Amino acid sequence: MGEPMIRLSGVSKSYRRGGETLTVLDHLDLAVPDGAFYALMGPSGSGKTTLLNLVGGLDHADSGEVVVAGTELGALDGRDLSRWRADHVGFVFQQFNLLSVLTALENVELPLLLAPLSRKERRDHASHALELVGLADRMHHRPGQLSGGQEQRVAIARAVATDPKLILADEPTGDLDRRAADQVLDLLGQLHEKFGKTILIVTHDPLAAARAEKTIHLDKGKLDRVETRPPSPGAPSRPPS
Amino acid sequence: MNKLIRRSLLRHPVRTLLTIGSLAVALFLLCFLRSLVTTLEAGAAAANQQRLWVQSAVSLFVDLPLSYQGKIDGVDGVKGTCKWQWFGGYYRDQTNFFAQFAVDPEPLFAMWPEVEIAAGSKEAFLADKRACIVGEGLARQFGWKVGEAVPLIGALFQKADGSAWDFQIAAIYRAGRPTVDDRTFFFHWDYFEETMKEAMGETPQVGVFVIELEPGAAAPGVMASVDALFENGPQRVQTTTEAEFQRQFATMFGNVPRLISFIGGGVLLAILLACVNTMLMQAREQLREIGVMKALGFSDGAAALFLLSQSLLLVGTGGALGIGLALLTQRGIAGFLSRFFPGYAVQPLTLAAAIGVTAILGLLAGAVPARLAERTRTVEAMRPH
Amino acid sequence: MLVPLRYNFRSLLVRRSGTLLTVLGIAATVAILAGVLSLEAGFRTLFSESGREDLVVFLRPGSTNEGDSIWRRDVADRLVKTLPEIRRGADGRPLASRECYLAVLRTRIGGGKTNVPVRGVEPASFDIHGDGVRIVAGRRFRPGADEVIVGTKLVDRIRGCALGDVIQLNTTPLNVVGVFESEGPYTSEIWGDLDRMQAALVRPFPNRVIALLDPGTDVRALAKRLESDKETPAKAQTEREYLAAQTGALSATLLTLGGFLAVVMGLAAIFTATNTMLAAIASRTHEIGILLACGFRPLAVFLSFLGEALVLGLLGGALGCLIVVPLNGLETGATNFNTFTEVAFAFRVTPEVLAKAVIFSLVLGLLGGAAPAWRAARLAPVAALRRQ
Repeated sequence: MGEPMIRLSGVSKSYRRGGETLTVLDHLDLAVPDGAFYALMGPSGSGKTTLLNLVGGLDHADSGEVVVAGTELGALDGRDLSRWRADHVGFVFQQFNLLSVLTALENVELPLLLAPLSRKERRDHASHALELVGLADRMHHRPGQLSGGQEQRVAIARAVATDPKLILADEPTGDLDRRAADQVLDLLGQLHEKFGKTILIVTHDPLAAARAEKTIHLDKGKLDRVETRPPSPGAPSRPPS
Repeated sequence: MNKLIRRSLLRHPVRTLLTIGSLAVALFLLCFLRSLVTTLEAGAAAANQQRLWVQSAVSLFVDLPLSYQGKIDGVDGVKGTCKWQWFGGYYRDQTNFFAQFAVDPEPLFAMWPEVEIAAGSKEAFLADKRACIVGEGLARQFGWKVGEAVPLIGALFQKADGSAWDFQIAAIYRAGRPTVDDRTFFFHWDYFEETMKEAMGETPQVGVFVIELEPGAAAPGVMASVDALFENGPQRVQTTTEAEFQRQFATMFGNVPRLISFIGGGVLLAILLACVNTMLMQAREQLREIGVMKALGFSDGAAALFLLSQSLLLVGTGGALGIGLALLTQRGIAGFLSRFFPGYAVQPLTLAAAIGVTAILGLLAGAVPARLAERTRTVEAMRPH
Repeated sequence: MLVPLRYNFRSLLVRRSGTLLTVLGIAATVAILAGVLSLEAGFRTLFSESGREDLVVFLRPGSTNEGDSIWRRDVADRLVKTLPEIRRGADGRPLASRECYLAVLRTRIGGGKTNVPVRGVEPASFDIHGDGVRIVAGRRFRPGADEVIVGTKLVDRIRGCALGDVIQLNTTPLNVVGVFESEGPYTSEIWGDLDRMQAALVRPFPNRVIALLDPGTDVRALAKRLESDKETPAKAQTEREYLAAQTGALSATLLTLGGFLAVVMGLAAIFTATNTMLAAIASRTHEIGILLACGFRPLAVFLSFLGEALVLGLLGGALGCLIVVPLNGLETGATNFNTFTEVAFAFRVTPEVLAKAVIFSLVLGLLGGAAPAWRAARLAPVAALRRQ
């Protein structure tokens, strides 16, 4: 493997809240190889989501280098960053974030509007993605008419519709029951195994982390430790420090 | 994308409907108010260059001696003259108010080509001394037909025996230009003069004389010569162009046009605020979705455009309804206001202005939330509440 | 138990921009209504409150204003000389004045033509009006001279109406020798000697007669008697009645205009208020769930949100009134549709106008808040709690 899909070197990020400065990421170094499935764990406030936002090009680092899919994101301005996101990343959120006024199919089509595709091609790509997540029969339903698990699967279909190399998921199972969570995790596993997607998921759920090849533990903005061997399912996980 | 804009607006159908409703009301009101002003000015704007009006220099309520006509006819550059006398009568009931004038019949047609015969005939009017010709609007209001007998009660001019004046409708005219309104009643001066001589024992006086200029005659010269004729009385006259003559009625309304503009400004302001309010609500609720769209790779500009389009669609729909309403109600309002604002009409320029105002409202109401959307940081927009 | 109003105030504060925009919208609507009402109040006050009860105006039977009223000179003379109720002055002459009246075309100082009333009066007029007509500059015109005095409101509005100017009426030049002041519509008039005005205007007839009556005279009985009198038929009314009747057409027009605008703009304002309240309730569904779960009855929730809408309306009303108050005393001109003459008068923002404006704003709040408050009250607590 040559250049990793994600490479962070000396990345720092802090926010001002009220009068005080809050350091969220503190000189962090991290590399995720192409085609890997990594999980990111850590207590609240350890900087997981911030890290994900930096990798996804939703936010800029204060210092250090964030190189994703061969692009140094610090060098891109807002407009270029938007285009870069459209081309390279698929997002999956804890709260699904589907547009409630659009049907499942139209939600999946949304990112495809940014690609130079004909109407028919868009429709084909989107319905294909929905088939992939097993919701071909629900494509004309609105989010409100779907269960949480189904909504999240639509969100995954949306994330893969443009066929990005990298999928970033922030607590994708956080709002789901066990069964739905398992379905979603199965799907992510498939994307990794069958389609060679690079996947980075932020999670509190040890069972979710167990699907990943490696689990990165963050604490107070620093790399705490990396588990290469996931804890076996059902075993009590180490409580977050 | 269009679908998304439409559906986003329909997410709160009640809100969208209410906003469209208030916009429709506002645009209707603006068209209405503006039309009042243009109606006041319409006569002056369309005035005929070939006609001059001779009135008493002292007061609108003072008449001129009949003998003036011959003297005015003798002035160089004058092709012909026509007498106009305000009759001020009413039909059946005092509330049936409309303008009636005793005029010279032939000059009426010669000098006012815009009085176009719509029913009946010119010849029938000329042939019968008791004939009258009425405007289409008036005929419509009272359901008058050609050949019908119309008695008028003379409020200012009473017959010797106090009975009603008898007229017969010989023709109905269409107003070809706004210089004539379609709610006027014209009848023969001779009938008026004879009847008044009988009642009062003296020749009645004339309200105004209208001069038709010879082609090529210079209006200022003729005006000065006519005024000079009666410099030493018995009644001084003031000769004006038709535009000036019409304008004096408009200026008599004093500050009304300014007042109307002021009210229009208030309406606009109130509505702009309401639209900005709606769009802000709309934007605030869609902040998360806009964040999602940005995360998916839509640019800041696209997000702003998304809200701006919603605003334009919303305001455009409301504006179109309001303008449509103004056009639809035009005839009804014209009838209702005929007493103070004869010839009420929504001018094309008013419509154009209303469309412009709608577009500007849409842009302004969309600009504030669009700016908000553009500046919202994706990360914050999606933070769970 | 009622939900404390403090809760609503806080909510309005939290949703600052929405609250502010709605309040401004209501304020603009209320200001327009109050503006038109104060215009009407100013006009009405000028006419009806300046009229005197002991001064009687005689018109020709059947006419409604002096422009229409044309007397035969002999009848007017007979009335003045023979009517026993007319009070006598110190010199034994009747305190009555025949007057002629004509709206003459004059040029405004800002440009444009307008109708200005010219009134010819007899010397007794000044005794009749007493302090009601006061010379503030120059002097009175001399009887029989080609001189006039002008009302204060004309000086700055009509060309040629300053002290020392010459007003040309038909073929007669008249010197402006004085400026007078009065509480009523006379301040927009030009006054001169009756005979000279009649000669200048070539109108040899008076338009009305005014007179002071002996104290205790029953004006109504007198009016009734004169109505069918053979020698001197006349329509008699007190000056107050006469002036009040003059305001009819313009007052009605202004009130119609004001009413129309209030209804139409009020509709738009109600829509906006409803929108704001709907949004307020949508974003507070969760809180409403908490209130209901705490044991507040739906009626309390309904009243709470209605109260919030009323506060919105009231704030708009107060702001609207603030916008209008500076108009108080502002001079403007308008046409008296009865005589087609222009009268100058001032906006009068009276307590009554303000009260009407505030009530109107409350009605707007009430109508705008009722439907959303009803919706809030009918929420099921469990469902509301589940909503974020």
